[in-house]
Amino acid sequence: MDSHIRKVYVPMTETGFYILLCLREESHGYGIVKKTEELTNGEIVLSPGTLYGSLSKMEKDDLIRFVREEENRKIYHITELGSQVLELEMKRIKRLYESMMEAKDERY
Amino acid sequence: MKDTKTEIRFFSVPQWKKEEQYLRDRHNDGWEFTGVGFPGVYHFRKCEPKDVVYQLDYNEDSVRSRDEYIQMFSDCGWEYIQNYVGYSYFRKPVSEMKVSEEAIFCDDASRLEMIKRVFEGRMVPLLLTFFMVIIPQIFMQAEEGSSGGRGVLILFIVLFALYLAIFISFAVPFIKYYRSVHRD
Repeated sequence: MDSHIRKVYVPMTETGFYILLCLREESHGYGIVKKTEELTNGEIVLSPGTLYGSLSKMEKDDLIRFVREEENRKIYHITELGSQVLELEMKRIKRLYESMMEAKDERY
Repeated sequence: MKDTKTEIRFFSVPQWKKEEQYLRDRHNDGWEFTGVGFPGVYHFRKCEPKDVVYQLDYNEDSVRSRDEYIQMFSDCGWEYIQNYVGYSYFRKPVSEMKVSEEAIFCDDASRLEMIKRVFEGRMVPLLLTFFMVIIPQIFMQAEEGSSGGRGVLILFIVLFALYLAIFISFAVPFIKYYRSVHRD
């Protein structure tokens, strides 16, 4: 993984994270929106402009790849590089979560 | 009573937030936006007053992969109205929104990306003309000093002033908007 990818994607935006998380299975943009809504009980609704821009950028950076098109909807899937980035990001978030819980326990 | 109307309004390139608010206000007054034609000429059709959010995106893909671009927005409930000189116009009624104040961008990173696209698409060509044509021409014409060159020199000085005015009118709202999005 080169330094550009690290710099841009670690840490990544919430949108970027949900895109990679959802694209472990093939999906199109709106599929990612629906899945993210499900995962967050409707708290996060991804916006089309943000999603469109992120998908184009991630495809260019080879984090995801275009699989095929269905009724004007591009279907993507995560790449090997994308999986590595997601893994790094998951570790980072896990560490954040653990630090948070520890700090909380100390307080009470 | 007429059920269509036309209004003339000028928004400079970086003032899309103002333009969005203008279109929303009109819809609240019962005038639905149907399109912008000639620069600054906005067309409306009479409708039931309704709170509808209007949004502008600036993206080359809106032309390059038009169908797929529009599909993504319409899947998310944003009605595509038109493309006008690089800007795509969308709207969505507040009553159909799942979270309050939905917009076509949901984070600052993507709002900044949009600002960059506008800058690259609009400002860079102007800056190039300014530095590669207008400024060299002023020097060349001034050096020649002949009476024939005088008229041309004045023309380029007028252009110089005009471009400078455009840059300032661009830069101020740009910086303001950039700061409102990018807080560090």
